[in-house]
Amino acid sequence: MKGKVSTVVAHVVALLIGVVWILPVVSIFMVAIRPIREILHGWWNFKEFHPTLKNFVEALNHPTTPLGRGLLNSFIIASLAMITPVFIAALAAYAFARFSFPIKTYLFLTIIIMMAMPQQMVAIPLFQIMIKLGLINTYLGLILVHTAWGLPWIILFLRNFFLTLPIEVEEAARVDGASDFQIFLRIVLPMSLPALLSVTALQFTWVWNDFFLALLIVYSPDKLVATQRIVWMKGKYHTPWDTLCAGATLVMIVPVIIYAVFQKYYVKGMVGWVIKG
Amino acid sequence: MAAAGEAKTLIIVVGIVCLLIGFGAGWMVKPAPAPMKLVVIGPWSGAEMESFMPVLGAFAVEKGIMVEYRTYRAEDLATILPAQFKAGKAPADVIFMWAWWIRNNTEHILDISDIIDSADFMPGIVDQVTVDGKVYGAPYTGKVKPGFWYRISFFEEHNLKVPTTWEEFTTLLENISAIDGIVAPIASGDGVGWPLSDVTEHFILTFGGTDLFEGLINGSVSWTSDEVKAIFKDKLVPLLKKEYFSEPDDWTLILENWWEGKHALYFMGSWITGMVDDPTDLGVFSLPGAKAFVFCPDFMFIPKYTKHPTEAKELVKFLSGAEGQTIQVRQGGHIATNLNVELSAYPEVDKKVAQLLQGATAVTDLDDTIGGEFQTTFWDQLKYLWAHPDEWETVLAKIEEKAP
Amino acid sequence: MGNCISEDRRKSTLMAGDEMSQKNTTPLFFLAPAVILIIVFVIYPIVQTLWLSFLSPKGEFVGLRNYAQILRSKEIINSDRFPFECPPWGALIHNAVWIAIHLPLTVFLGLFFAIILKDVKGASIIKSIVFLGMVMPMVVGGLMAKFLFDKDIGIVNVVLRFIGLHSLADISWTYHPETALLATILIGVWMWTGFSMIVYSAALAAIPREYYEAAEIDGASSFRKFIHITLPLLKPATLVVVVMTVLWELKIFDIVYVATGGGPGEASMVLAILMYIKAFVAFNFSEAAVLATLLTLLTLPPAIWIAKTAVGRK
Repeated sequence: MKGKVSTVVAHVVALLIGVVWILPVVSIFMVAIRPIREILHGWWNFKEFHPTLKNFVEALNHPTTPLGRGLLNSFIIASLAMITPVFIAALAAYAFARFSFPIKTYLFLTIIIMMAMPQQMVAIPLFQIMIKLGLINTYLGLILVHTAWGLPWIILFLRNFFLTLPIEVEEAARVDGASDFQIFLRIVLPMSLPALLSVTALQFTWVWNDFFLALLIVYSPDKLVATQRIVWMKGKYHTPWDTLCAGATLVMIVPVIIYAVFQKYYVKGMVGWVIKG
Repeated sequence: MAAAGEAKTLIIVVGIVCLLIGFGAGWMVKPAPAPMKLVVIGPWSGAEMESFMPVLGAFAVEKGIMVEYRTYRAEDLATILPAQFKAGKAPADVIFMWAWWIRNNTEHILDISDIIDSADFMPGIVDQVTVDGKVYGAPYTGKVKPGFWYRISFFEEHNLKVPTTWEEFTTLLENISAIDGIVAPIASGDGVGWPLSDVTEHFILTFGGTDLFEGLINGSVSWTSDEVKAIFKDKLVPLLKKEYFSEPDDWTLILENWWEGKHALYFMGSWITGMVDDPTDLGVFSLPGAKAFVFCPDFMFIPKYTKHPTEAKELVKFLSGAEGQTIQVRQGGHIATNLNVELSAYPEVDKKVAQLLQGATAVTDLDDTIGGEFQTTFWDQLKYLWAHPDEWETVLAKIEEKAP
Repeated sequence: MGNCISEDRRKSTLMAGDEMSQKNTTPLFFLAPAVILIIVFVIYPIVQTLWLSFLSPKGEFVGLRNYAQILRSKEIINSDRFPFECPPWGALIHNAVWIAIHLPLTVFLGLFFAIILKDVKGASIIKSIVFLGMVMPMVVGGLMAKFLFDKDIGIVNVVLRFIGLHSLADISWTYHPETALLATILIGVWMWTGFSMIVYSAALAAIPREYYEAAEIDGASSFRKFIHITLPLLKPATLVVVVMTVLWELKIFDIVYVATGGGPGEASMVLAILMYIKAFVAFNFSEAAVLATLLTLLTLPPAIWIAKTAVGRK
């Protein structure tokens, strides 16, 4: 009997948790699909309910801060800043996993410590470097920074993963006369697909959600990313809540979809390198 | 293995050929020479840009010179222009920019004292772009911050009158508080903070005068000086303490609440006429005794590196002259800086604002002019003041810390 | 014979790697792109910032003077107002408050959720819902803080009004110095609990059933099982959660920037935002560099812990 009661209680509590936790998201969505007059006294009033897509259209085509362009920019930057660091990090991670060379431990330690660095510690010089290289306010500049910034954690994750791969396969290929690079490309990478999926999904999300680095490097209207657009909408351009929430919905739906589709890999990516198993 | 190697070679060869064709074609096909046209850069986009186009169009028709318009925000220009100017280039023939920026960059700007006569403009305006007696910028139209807006229907319904003295003003506020449904007589908007700074500047201007105001801008007057303290202590803070000002609340929500009658007065800039359902129901009055207003018109300048200085000057003369400004104000939402623009050119609502300005002096927005850390601190501290009016002395001290 | 050799190889220590390649240049090619990028865009800037922090705004070397100045500044620690008056208390104290409130809440909630949802049907959906906060951009979180705690349209205020807490319900939390900091922290809890929860979930799932079954045979109650089996075995997970959470709390920027901008009156200011304002609004690079370095120093203990465990892994 006790078991039954506690299970019922557990289910009720679980349901409560779900409801409370999803309320913020539901709130935003509710305001996004209704005209502002209706929600002035709270979106939970359903006296008048005329759902509309108008807010989304307005957000996408906002006269001074159009979200459509922002979403496109985010997409471009996140895609390129997802592929590049994964490949470069995989190379380095493989070296850490399989090769031995002097200063290996120190190099590895240094790279790992970079993971905890606050972005503020690099902000000023990065800004100056970008100007000197002529990369300020360019896609390339932002992509490079995101790439460099993503490398430490991706290297750690992939290196741990590579260590779990059976070395016999690689040894056998070596006996067949394959070079290190060929082994890496043709054998190790294909075997690492799950891990690569994890880091790719996480990195894309991380870059998409970024605000600070974009704030630092990109400033002309046509290059602003989606997160910046949302912030300017609220801050400088005093967009009413309905358009604002529509914009927020659009910006957050992309990482949510990625999470939904790649859930297994996503979670493994988050947990996998911090905890055994 | 061999087949794969072949495929690879093929792809590389095709790739190189494509590249060669692309470059070759680009090299050979030269674009036809462009007809002479002037390029204008301004901050407006969307609806605001739409209302600027007729002005450019009228110029093109009258002078037979084509004009192209490009949108760039002032903040972005501030980052782009210095590099371009250093390279001796200019992205346009006429550029709209902040007055203080024009003043700081005169070495790259054409002297237009020959086409701008300060007598044609509201007193104080041309000074904003004059350095060492030479005029580097031309005033266009702009938005003013004239005072407190109200709904005429609301005032009529409750038998309220526009105040002409300070006592009448405080009595008005008290009467409004007593009305049913009123949450607070004066609505306080909260953007990044500027609605609060605007109304504060209005108080300072009205009771301190333009000299004090300018002194605060250039640092010769301290925020903790007796005069400034008196303005806060005797005028602004008591109103705050009596809760005549609402909480700073979301700018757009407040607009709705004000229109619905939860508030009676809303201190705003003249752009509000474009944001309400029924502009004819709008009335405005300033603090009794106000003789100066924050008026930040748009300014334009001609970079030295333009390839068409004569035509550019023609355009500037047109735009800042009565002709150009009249076309602009006719469309509503703009107030002219040129004194030769007739009152009749304004739509009804804007006319009221223009009338308020007659005989008044124009000054620049205080925090915009100083900018930097002062501005963010100023806004931030005012938000604090609204929530805790009793700590006004601390607030003034904190503002003074970051003041010039 | 082949098997014996591989086994020996596997038994060799971790960091020695595998002597697969004695070609000394190959590691170089594999490492070069990553190392170059990290040096140029991460390590060099860090060193630069450190150097900047020892210079005056004019560029002269002043050693630790900047640090002394900043640490004494009211923007960092406002001992006049802390702890009995309402915020602003200084950015450093605000970050400490973040840790003091946010850390226990997320750790306990995460553990609690993980336990409750362990054997519940439909748990994966609920877990996904809780995890949503981790997935979305933090700037949206900042928007939520403004939105949910708004006196007119905020759902939290409705609930508060319902309970009868009118003084809290009738103000928009992000506009009042008393509540601004708390509003940002609470949204932080909403966003970050998902992380704590899935780490604990994974750790709980890894505990072998036999332990519990053995304890049941010995007659242990659920409570005792929890205290003597579960909790100790969760220590590594807890360490991970605490370290990562503290790091996140120290570096918090987006949420606060959007929700309050650090205000009103700097009542919700955090170190990361203060650094940004000093650097890119006031253009005082040396002060900003000091703040950045201070922030980094604070993140070093967790960072070192991460590095130690990362290297020591098998």
